[in-house]
Amino acid sequence: HSGLSRDLLLMLYNADDRNVIIRVGKNHNVKEFRAHSNILRFRSAYFKSALSSKWIGKKNENGTIKFEKPNINPNIFEIILKYIYTGEVDLTVNSGEVNLELLISSDELLLEELFNYVQDYLI
Amino acid sequence: MSSRKQPKGKIRPPKKPNSADAQFNDNWDRLAQAIREIHKKNASILSFEELYRNAYNMVLHKNGDKLYNGVREVITQHLEEVAVSQVVPAFPLSGASSSQTNPNGAGGANFLKVLKTVWEDHTTCMLMIRDILMYMDRVYAKTANVPLVYDLGLDLFRDTIVRSQNYPIQNHLLEVLLQQIKLERENEIIDRTNVKASIDMLLELTDASTKDTVYATDFENKFLETSSEYYRVEGQMLVGEYDAPEYMKKVDKRLNEEEQRVRHYLSQTTEPKIRNIVEEELISKHLKTVIEMENSGLIPMLRNEKMDDLGRMYKLFGRVVKGHDEMKSAISDYIRELGKAINETVTSNTTAEGGNAASGDKQTGATVAVRWVQEVLDLKDKFDKVQNLALSNDKAFQTSFNEAFEYFINKNSKSPEFISLFIDDNLKKGLKGKTEEEVDSVLDKTITLFRFIGEKDVFERYYKQHLAKRLLLGRSVSDDAERGMIGKLKVECGYQFTTKLEGMFNDMRISSDTMTDFKEYLDKSVLEKPKLDLSVTVLTSTFWPMNLSASPRCNLPPELTKACGTFQNFYLGRHSGRRLTWQSNMGTADIRGSFKARKHELNVSTYQMVILLMFNDKQDGESLSYEQIKGESDIPEADLKRNLQSLACAKYKILVKEPKGKEINPGDQFNFNNDFTAPLQRIKIQTVASKVESEGERKETREKVEEARKHQTEAAIVRIMKDRKTMEHNLLIAEVVKQLQSRFMPNPALIKKRIEALIEREYLERATGDRRVYNYLA
Repeated sequence: HSGLSRDLLLMLYNADDRNVIIRVGKNHNVKEFRAHSNILRFRSAYFKSALSSKWIGKKNENGTIKFEKPNINPNIFEIILKYIYTGEVDLTVNSGEVNLELLISSDELLLEELFNYVQDYLI
Repeated sequence: MSSRKQPKGKIRPPKKPNSADAQFNDNWDRLAQAIREIHKKNASILSFEELYRNAYNMVLHKNGDKLYNGVREVITQHLEEVAVSQVVPAFPLSGASSSQTNPNGAGGANFLKVLKTVWEDHTTCMLMIRDILMYMDRVYAKTANVPLVYDLGLDLFRDTIVRSQNYPIQNHLLEVLLQQIKLERENEIIDRTNVKASIDMLLELTDASTKDTVYATDFENKFLETSSEYYRVEGQMLVGEYDAPEYMKKVDKRLNEEEQRVRHYLSQTTEPKIRNIVEEELISKHLKTVIEMENSGLIPMLRNEKMDDLGRMYKLFGRVVKGHDEMKSAISDYIRELGKAINETVTSNTTAEGGNAASGDKQTGATVAVRWVQEVLDLKDKFDKVQNLALSNDKAFQTSFNEAFEYFINKNSKSPEFISLFIDDNLKKGLKGKTEEEVDSVLDKTITLFRFIGEKDVFERYYKQHLAKRLLLGRSVSDDAERGMIGKLKVECGYQFTTKLEGMFNDMRISSDTMTDFKEYLDKSVLEKPKLDLSVTVLTSTFWPMNLSASPRCNLPPELTKACGTFQNFYLGRHSGRRLTWQSNMGTADIRGSFKARKHELNVSTYQMVILLMFNDKQDGESLSYEQIKGESDIPEADLKRNLQSLACAKYKILVKEPKGKEINPGDQFNFNNDFTAPLQRIKIQTVASKVESEGERKETREKVEEARKHQTEAAIVRIMKDRKTMEHNLLIAEVVKQLQSRFMPNPALIKKRIEALIEREYLERATGDRRVYNYLA
């Protein structure tokens, strides 16, 4: 890890100005992540639309945006979130199944760079 | 994979033929419903994540085309409904023509307002639809090669609203837009925001076949056509109703308005097109009419020095191709006309003068010349001012003005003489109390006229004559002023032009030294001193304009002849081998005359002195006839008449003529006027004042000039051939013309004659092979 990505990870996990709560997963496999809306918006076209004023409307309570993403596993989403913050991902530590799910989710969220990277790794 | 095997296991997933379809229907129903909610502005109840996921799933399961077509259908339906419920009801009552019920185009303005709302709603909705269909755009639209959903929305809006097949929306829109513009042209206040919204909308829509904007395909041409028509009518109306300055102000205003209009609510691409139309209809088509407007056109503007109007015309007409050309030729014609008028006053004056010729009116002759030059200078000043203040010192105009001046100045065959006389007038001593600076600035201006003269050699001949008189009669205002003028001429024509003039100055200086020496010589000499003070100016014959071969005869009195002899001995003793010829027609003398009342000192010409001395031997009342005087003095007839005129017919009548009259005729009798009185003790008898030449003199000058031209032409030919050794006829002619044109414009026939003369004298020969080629013979 470079200093920058280490600091960005610290920001993802510890910063007190995170203004988005993302509730990920369904049934018993649910986890809430906190993140920064501006980072999400600038790093991803999906979140740029999802978190735009047109769509968040009244779901905004005391400045905190709540967003649900039921069709992705929390552990997969965490990898994605870390990638969004740092631009880094380590596929070698994952099982093939995890990487496959990562491929599918990065496609849905239109994270093209990540998608291509995983695809290249898998083939 | 063609021999694909059946899966081994017996257990197979149950075939559910309807489940994918059901899933699709479910997904699509939700999406279609959501789009309708978006159209109803109810988006706040919707979940982006869910809708996105629905569309994502449909594309993922290969239902992209169905989704895409479904979206197209829902949007089309919605727009059809908008057309019926919002746009059609807003149609203005009966189109743009109903100015009765709809005087300010209020209905039209309202229609545009509705369209603006409809368009804004549509684009807002499309942005939301684009959000939830982002996956479809990125994954399906690209591979299926169909427009992105936002662009699909634009196309649907174009076809369903703007170019609706069901309702005449397009007609209304175009008519209302053109009507609003027309109203604004007629000084109504319109709501530009609404017009701009519609124009922007048309600019955002693309025509499928031309790939150009709908603005360009549907609107712009109609706009330009109606504008053409509008300004065609307005042009005719304005030309009929306003004078030229007002007309130009109106056109200026129109151009400005159209530029502002484009900037405020049309496309920049329209700017040059509408500008061209206004320029064509309001400027090009009426160029000549405006220029020639009777009391306010270009010529009246010039006459009254309306610099602002002229400047406006220059700027305005410069916008169109022919504008400046028309102005230039009109102004040039005007200059020629004014020049012609100036020339005519001169000819009428000189012919009138010819009528009472020999009336001793030499002053008038010079005055005519001075006035002609002054008027030409005033005209030049006037157009310099125009050029400076109204025409931005445009070089092309300057050239055309210069040509006009050159034309009429050279139309007056006397212009070289006149300009020289004008300079003479300014360089003469004690005239008009002008300061040196004033004289200098006048002379600078005169040089600009000199530039226009084609026959500079003729000018040079007159200048020499006039300078000679100034120098010999001591009339020159100052050496500095004379040298200054020669310096200016040198700048214009080079040193050859002025070496002889400078030689004249040298002669004057050397002569003054010579006279000092002569006086010393006389003081020391044992010879009998002459009974008169003799002052001699020795002139180098080649520098001065006197004609040696026709050296004037005159019987000088013995005292004078003797004095001349003394000087001649002195001079030739110092400069052996020189020849002195006495120019008695150029001299002056101071003599004392005793009249009944008192004595007067008379300053007269040498000829007058000779005539007056004859009366010394006569008794009171004894007269001399014209023939006697002529015979005894041997003065040439023309000179004699002129001098007798000065003595007997002018201001101071030293002689009395019988019979009385202004003319001198054979048989006239002359008496010494013993009763002569004058308030001044010292009297100057005018004779050799500068004047315009008589016809005879002019002919003589002309012949001299022609003779000089022959020599100059031959000299040029020899100079060129010596350098080139061999040359073709036409090239030689061209080169000779080039070398001589600063002095005069030689005609090719003259050059040809000179070439033949040189062949005869064996300076040149024709080449043996080619008779068109000459060789130089060393």
